[in-house]
Amino acid sequence: MKKKYFTLIIFITTVATAQNKSVLIINGIAHLGTDSVIQNSIIGIKDGKINLVADATTAKIDKAVYDEVIDATGKSIYPGFIAPNSTLGLTEIEAVRATNDFREIGTTLPNIRSLIAYNTDSKIIPTVRTNGILMAQITPRGGLVSGTSSIVVLDGWNWEDAAYKVDDGIHINWPNLVGRKLIDEDNGTYGPYEKNKEYNRQANELKKLFDDAKAYNETDVKEEKNLRFEAMKGIFAGTQTLFIHSDKVKEIVEAVNFVKQYQLKRVALVGGKDSWMVTDLLKQNNIAVVVSRTHDLPEHPEDDIDLPYKLPYLLQKAGVQFCLNNEGGMEAAGTRNLPFLAGTAAAYGLTKEQAVKAITLSTAKILGIDKTTGSLETGKDATLFISAGDALDMRTNNVEKAFIKGKSIELDNEQKQLYLKYKNKYGLK
Amino acid sequence: MKKILLLLFTIVIITASVAQETFPVNGTTNKNHNTYAFTNATIVINADETIANATLLIKEGIIIGVGTKVSVPKGAVVYDLKGKSIYPALIDAYTSYGMADVKPIPRMYPGPQMESNIKGAYGWNQSIRADVEGYKLFADNVTASEEMRKMGFGAVLTFERDGIVRGSAAVVSLADGKENNLIISDRAASMLSFDKGTSNQDYPSSLMGAIALLRQTYLDASWYKSDKTKKEYNISLDAFNNLQTLPQIFETTDKLSALRADKIGDEFKTKYIIKGCGNEYQRLDDIKATNCKFIIPLNFPAAYDVEDAYDVENISLAEMKHWEMAPVNAFALEKNYIPFAITTADLKDKKEFWKNLRKAITYGLSEKQALKALTTIPAEMLNVADKIGSLKTGMIANFIITSGNLFEEKTILYENWIQGNPYKINDYNTIDVRGNYDFSYSTKNIVQLKIEGEIDKLKGTVLIDTTKTPVNITVLGNNVSISFNPKNITGTIRLSGNITTEPIKMAGKGQTPDGDWVDWSATYKSALVPVVKKDSVKKPPTFGKVIYPFCAYGKPHEDEQGFIREKIKDYKKEYDAVLIKHVTVWTNEQEGILKNQDVYITEGRIVRIADDINAPKLAFAKVIDGTGKHLTAGIIDEHSHIAIYAGVNEGTQASSAEVRIGDVVYSEDINIYRQLSGGVTAAQLLHGSANPIGGQSAIIKLRWGKSPEEMKFEKADGYIKFALGENVKQSNWGDFNTVRYPQSRMGVEQVYYDYFIRAKEYDAKQKAFGAMSDKEKVNGTPFRRDLELEALAEILNKKRFITCHSYVQSEINMLMHVGDSLGFQVNTFTHILEGYKVADKMKARNIGGSTFSDWWAYKMEVKEAIPYNASLMNQMGIVTAINSDDAEMGRRLNQEAAKSVKYGGTSEEDALKMVTLNPAKLLHIDKKVGSIKVGKDADVVLWSDNPLSIYAKVEKTIIDGIIYYDSEDDAKMRVEIQKERARIIQKMLDEKKGGTPVVKPLPKKQKLYGCDDLETDYMNAD
Repeated sequence: MKKKYFTLIIFITTVATAQNKSVLIINGIAHLGTDSVIQNSIIGIKDGKINLVADATTAKIDKAVYDEVIDATGKSIYPGFIAPNSTLGLTEIEAVRATNDFREIGTTLPNIRSLIAYNTDSKIIPTVRTNGILMAQITPRGGLVSGTSSIVVLDGWNWEDAAYKVDDGIHINWPNLVGRKLIDEDNGTYGPYEKNKEYNRQANELKKLFDDAKAYNETDVKEEKNLRFEAMKGIFAGTQTLFIHSDKVKEIVEAVNFVKQYQLKRVALVGGKDSWMVTDLLKQNNIAVVVSRTHDLPEHPEDDIDLPYKLPYLLQKAGVQFCLNNEGGMEAAGTRNLPFLAGTAAAYGLTKEQAVKAITLSTAKILGIDKTTGSLETGKDATLFISAGDALDMRTNNVEKAFIKGKSIELDNEQKQLYLKYKNKYGLK
Repeated sequence: MKKILLLLFTIVIITASVAQETFPVNGTTNKNHNTYAFTNATIVINADETIANATLLIKEGIIIGVGTKVSVPKGAVVYDLKGKSIYPALIDAYTSYGMADVKPIPRMYPGPQMESNIKGAYGWNQSIRADVEGYKLFADNVTASEEMRKMGFGAVLTFERDGIVRGSAAVVSLADGKENNLIISDRAASMLSFDKGTSNQDYPSSLMGAIALLRQTYLDASWYKSDKTKKEYNISLDAFNNLQTLPQIFETTDKLSALRADKIGDEFKTKYIIKGCGNEYQRLDDIKATNCKFIIPLNFPAAYDVEDAYDVENISLAEMKHWEMAPVNAFALEKNYIPFAITTADLKDKKEFWKNLRKAITYGLSEKQALKALTTIPAEMLNVADKIGSLKTGMIANFIITSGNLFEEKTILYENWIQGNPYKINDYNTIDVRGNYDFSYSTKNIVQLKIEGEIDKLKGTVLIDTTKTPVNITVLGNNVSISFNPKNITGTIRLSGNITTEPIKMAGKGQTPDGDWVDWSATYKSALVPVVKKDSVKKPPTFGKVIYPFCAYGKPHEDEQGFIREKIKDYKKEYDAVLIKHVTVWTNEQEGILKNQDVYITEGRIVRIADDINAPKLAFAKVIDGTGKHLTAGIIDEHSHIAIYAGVNEGTQASSAEVRIGDVVYSEDINIYRQLSGGVTAAQLLHGSANPIGGQSAIIKLRWGKSPEEMKFEKADGYIKFALGENVKQSNWGDFNTVRYPQSRMGVEQVYYDYFIRAKEYDAKQKAFGAMSDKEKVNGTPFRRDLELEALAEILNKKRFITCHSYVQSEINMLMHVGDSLGFQVNTFTHILEGYKVADKMKARNIGGSTFSDWWAYKMEVKEAIPYNASLMNQMGIVTAINSDDAEMGRRLNQEAAKSVKYGGTSEEDALKMVTLNPAKLLHIDKKVGSIKVGKDADVVLWSDNPLSIYAKVEKTIIDGIIYYDSEDDAKMRVEIQKERARIIQKMLDEKKGGTPVVKPLPKKQKLYGCDDLETDYMNAD
């Protein structure tokens, strides 16, 4: 039995080979991620950075300066899509406990760090980046304070290589005012909804943690080191983002008022199914929303049947900053559908470029990495891909070439290999 | 305290006066052969006959005379009831009066309990409690009987409310005393329900399992009856047979559950009396069509506290509307001539009964019908109409004495006589002292005293100068006591005295706070002036319309007025043809994709597809401009678990071939509408995958608003769910689920061999039995029908087809081999994520595949699932479909199909076929649906864009030529839903202002079923 497991974890993952070649991509439709598009573009990559973004019809470029020229006529170029709030690399097979590393025991765990459990050799990762997702925020789950996330690029020999922004944010799950008890853990059966009698205790536990951590981090001489308080330093200093996971309107209101007292610079709401009801409050407090999966059912039978589809549009219309994420059932493997979550948002109100922005530059902004990545702009990382067609539509999403920080990455994966293997077996073309 | 003592005393006398013959007497006997005469009363014989100024004569608990010409014999005890009325005492046909509380027998160990834990020669299932006899369990309960008597009841049906078959119920009187004297009918009715009650045996774990169990019990009992060998002695089946001559009362918890019960009744030629739940008005046509009698509760829901706008989100439109409409249920039934009795059952507090009954009357229920529903109708239902329910000579003396019309609020219930025993509720001899008085005490001054309130709860005020002081007044017989504290005096003045009547005068002595004795008197001056409250002139209640289905996005029947449907169709309102013009048609036929076509639909069929069609003048056609739009065949979901009620798995045994999803189709699932909005027109509702042999599936068309039966796809072949792998071997079900066979893939194979070999033998036996002459059938060994094996035999006879949940190649290969050797073929492998590894083998046997587009990595067996699977199977010539198995994905199946364009390069036409024509083929309904072809059912979808594009939206979903989803209509409905909610919210706010208690709304979430969902409590599934 053990042997079997062993073979399982020996993964062969292709990692981008070191490459310093400069590349010029010409004539592609460049979706910049900034809510704008260049129909016929020229994009230059040098030393891992984008050193040129221009309109091919007007710009005059010496192609010879670049080692390689790619003709992308008729194709689309996008900044690498970013999957925020993801358990990619923390889970391999959901039902097999040994492969799950996203939840630690305890309730307030700010010092839990996702990065060190991030498995660069996960077989899921190559199936995700082949759809254009090139970066992710690896996020722990569970408890009141789940822990600290880190941002990675989806390429690397190990987590050190992959790390893009280490310990970028702390994630808290705002307690629910009403909830259901898990009656039968094995079958995931819940009891009826009832008032959460623990609510005040849980909210106070959070408050105490924040008060203590704040005081601790303001003290010059620390009598004894406290790992939890230390871990929260960045959110008070403004170098880390506080991510509050909550969907329900009352809880959102509570959470917003909670963080207000600490005057944190960087706060985002994750989930926010009801966020459309409190857009003014979010705007006033400068809180962005990492919007829950658009491919979801409405919460109530009375709701507009397309409410989850149009939630990004409702936030856009109200002027709330937002990006999209894929938390939910089968989330790690489903990360590859992130572009289509954006596509649906575009079908239900957003423009296509706004939808692209919601999985690129907006995400980068909310995660605090927009200075160096998230869009096709000169000086930023050359993390981008070329798709045969519209990457937000499954009909045409076909990633032909992808670069992470200027390196061309391997786009093969084990699923493609199995496909070819059996095609050969049957002699299919 | 005194009152209680008096009551106890009367009880002792009563018990003594009706002593039972066979019992020894301690003390002296006290036989009573007196006649009692109630004269000058208005006697309501029954709802149809009332006699004024009449006499009722009773002796030894029996009515011996009633009418105007009855002569009172000498020596009778005479009660003059001038101005008063006598009614038959009421009957409640649904109680557990005098029954002990039911408690489950504790489980022996955690984990599955596959067998009954009742010891003895009983049947195999603990929830079949046919042997329970209510009359044997009945024990007088003086607290409960008093409560019922105070409401006017004289007799009830009582039984132990536990189990699916609950045994017999008895009609008992609500008198107190020795039970020997209280039983009116020992075995009055047989009681049934869908609720397994306290049984902790695993089976059934779902509603469909409960139905299957009941069905098999009918068959087994009938077999048991004809089996003379009695090799198996079975107390439960024997008892079940003995129940069959009784009226059968079936408890239901929803109008759809009433329809389910009736369907079972039809199968076994039994007309149930249905114990309803109070929402029958929501599907009146179907309720009426059952031809059943009903027993309905008056459990009107309380209003919600709607002051918090956010909390209100948690109240569904259905709940709001039901709150508003529940009181109209009885009226709606009456209006439709559906016979019903009324019960106090299901009330949280029995005190609500009269309040709610009067409310039902203000909502239209006639007093006559109300009286019938509480007297003659239940009496007839329970075959005791010759004994109780009306006041006729020879019947039991169960009657009540009132001050007037029973249904008026001000009416006082004085006495409830049961079996000739009086139970005083209010004393009609109490002097009514209410009125205005000249009052004097201590001082000579005369002041004004006003006495008002209820006769047993008087309130007084005394007016001294201009100050009103409250006064306490108690009247007992001719004694009166008064106390009050006037403003100008410290302390309380206490007065006692005697009342004389005609005119009323009160006088006596009393003490001031200082202890001085004084004389006082009060002389009747005038009657009270009735206070007319502003809103006392009651407006008839108003309420919204019934919508179909009864939830958000339901619509009212256009032709329904006041719960009656006009049968004449208005052709001006209803079109009977649809013409879609200039549309791009994805035919799914040889013609391929046709641009700029007109499609004409009438009478539910596609009639013409051509370049330019003009709307015919005779038909009233709806013309839709399809310019720039796409028309496809409706999407068909081969693997769906929406619209299933109370449990998707009966996974308690390795095989549950006997259960039928068709028994539990839930027509009010909002996901039906949501999927219509995604272009789905038909779906196979599958049993889950908890066991190797699952249950029978139902194929439905998503006819939103119709009843479960109307949703079913006409004349579709029968299907059954099989399953392989981790779910059936319970790999991911925690530490305790290690008992039920099989626990490995090896065991799964043997389950199939074993069951199919038995099914083969069964089939041979059944065929042999069928070939016998009637005489041989009677004389020979009787044949026991086994619905489980019968379903499997149908597979062998190619009358039922297998959809098998499957993942890895080894097990898929296995089942194909089992099929080969036993002579059956799998129709469809569903999920089939490793189909690409055995595609050649599937192709060789012509087996279809219905898969997910890109699911994987959620469990071990989907580790090698690849998104290219559908494309590869398709390339191999396998009929390939893409399914949802998920309520959310079910409405985006077009997108899932589009993924096969991305993964594996399937052509767009072929990709669309994977969610339309191919699933139709797999379900054997492709002759009717799945493509746009003249003559086929008009199940089509109009899209805003290329249907495979993520940007495509459904504009219209048409089934049988009827538009069931229309995006424009949807936008209007959203507004209407908000308006209707706002209207009812305002009403609820008024209710709270009026002081009525309200309940806090809490969220409820519908359970969405996937393959491996199990129910722990199926009766509370929603």
